[in-house]
Amino acid sequence: MNKLFKHLGVAFALLFSAVCFANGGEQAVAQASDAQMWAQLKDGAVGYTASKSEFHGQAINTYDLRVLDLRADWLAPALMAALFGMIAIFIVFIKINGISKLHHGFSGKMVYRWSKADVAIHWLGAIPCLLLILTGLVLLAGRFFIQPYLGEGVWAGLVNGAKQVHDVLAIPFMIGWLLMTVLWAKNQMPKMYDIKWFMVVGGYINFGPFKGKHPDAGFANAGEKLWFWAFAIFGLVISVSGMLLLFPNLFEPSRNLSLLALILHGVSAIIICAFSIVHIFMATAMSEGGMECMVSGYCDENWATQHHNLWFDEIKANGTLKYKE
Amino acid sequence: MATLKFLCDTKRCIECNGCVTACKNENASALEWGINRRRVVTINDGKQGEASISVACMHCDDAPCMAVCPANCFYKTEDGLVLHNKDTCIGCGYCLYACPFGAPQFPKSGAFGARGKMDKCTFCAGGPEENHSEAEMKKYGSNRIAEGKLPMCAELCATKSLLAGDADVVSAIFRERVAYRGAKNAAWG
Ligand code: HEM
Ligand code: SF4
Ligand code: SF4
Repeated sequence: MNKLFKHLGVAFALLFSAVCFANGGEQAVAQASDAQMWAQLKDGAVGYTASKSEFHGQAINTYDLRVLDLRADWLAPALMAALFGMIAIFIVFIKINGISKLHHGFSGKMVYRWSKADVAIHWLGAIPCLLLILTGLVLLAGRFFIQPYLGEGVWAGLVNGAKQVHDVLAIPFMIGWLLMTVLWAKNQMPKMYDIKWFMVVGGYINFGPFKGKHPDAGFANAGEKLWFWAFAIFGLVISVSGMLLLFPNLFEPSRNLSLLALILHGVSAIIICAFSIVHIFMATAMSEGGMECMVSGYCDENWATQHHNLWFDEIKANGTLKYKE
Repeated sequence: MATLKFLCDTKRCIECNGCVTACKNENASALEWGINRRRVVTINDGKQGEASISVACMHCDDAPCMAVCPANCFYKTEDGLVLHNKDTCIGCGYCLYACPFGAPQFPKSGAFGARGKMDKCTFCAGGPEENHSEAEMKKYGSNRIAEGKLPMCAELCATKSLLAGDADVVSAIFRERVAYRGAKNAAWG
């Protein structure tokens, strides 16, 4: 007997016993054909039915039931860890390590870095992304970590709200993801000096052998490039799997494909969530002066020379350096 | 407490769809257009090895729908039935992906054919509303279990192919049939 039977227990036992026992002691031929039918149903034979409902021609759909445990026992806690665990780690890290200050303070001279359009598409993707993480967390892990503390009515409202918000925000997220991925990729190509950046963890560590290091970085540093490509790849996986879940009438995925999409969606969510927390901490708390880039599109000159020296040298050399009026 | 189950004896099923009709009629108050809680599937139709089987929710012991539902709206009754709360259901469709028997179904509602609240066979046991209340009738249909009766589909099966009731009793009836048919040494599984 395969694993499936064990899991479904009596339901299967009865259904199949009907099929198996029923072949009576008649003839060897009849027996063979009943065994065949048994095997056919188990293998997901599709027959005729008067019902027009989805998948109704198939009596039994088989899949590896371990996907259910995978989702409940691994993906749900992992997403919780990717959100709350990462936040906790970062708070502790900043307490011990301190933030990356501008050595020479703010110069007050603002260097052009991002266009207004770039800032806009960043937030077009980022705000929905944050809300998709939170609502996705309710869908994947809520029943284990949130529902026990709520009454049935409040829980029903929360999970329903999460679904509605998730469904709607998926669209701006995908537009933002696509624009960022396509328009920004040229600045995110890996370079040799990126390896050195990783060797000293970007110079953000304030103790031991890493202290006071300032690795080279172009427009984007190696850490940002890693985030960019993780976002590009898992953003694609999450968008494709999400589309299958969101528009089943359009794509008509099989049930097993939908389950696969659910798993891939969850795995991508965990990765994007963990990276997002790092990204947000780096931009807001860790790197003094970093946030300004995605507010006005300009950065302080001292910030540019400290964190993106190669880029600053380059724009200075080729004359594209532009200051805020 | 009893554990209630369905059993379909494929040697007796004649694809009359009586169970389907009985179910539709009994639960009409709750069924939106296009929902079939029970169906008959015929494999090898018109060929050698033709066989029919009546399929609905099997009220699984370790139910996949229950395991996967993000809203956690399923519950198991003391009779072993798998029922759900439509007020909590968000219509995500996960249960349909997870159910081996294709039991969960959805009325199409809203823009782009978004799914409405899931509907499936209740073993004619209603739902989480007060027994026989209007809310129960409208959302879940009939509640024959509360009246001490068995599901309408099995009760009306002309050949008594479809059996419903306590798992032990149902399988005892079935074993007796098999013995009578002369299957002394042909038992599988
Ligand atoms: C940052 C982006 C996103 C994150 C972090 C995210 C996260 C999640 C998570 C954790 C779940 C629950 C999975 C489970 O229960 O196993 C989920 C469900 C779902 N996601 Fe996403 N998701 C994102 C983007 C998208 C996109 C772009 C789409 C659509 C194109 C989408 C459509 C869906 C759908 C349809 C569901 C099923 C529940 C429902 O019907 O609302 N998601 N998401
Ligand atoms: S809906 Fe499907 S998975 Fe759930 S109890 Fe019924 S047959 Fe089992
Ligand atoms: S459709 Fe409803 S019952 Fe089915 S898994 Fe989603 S919330 Fe649960």
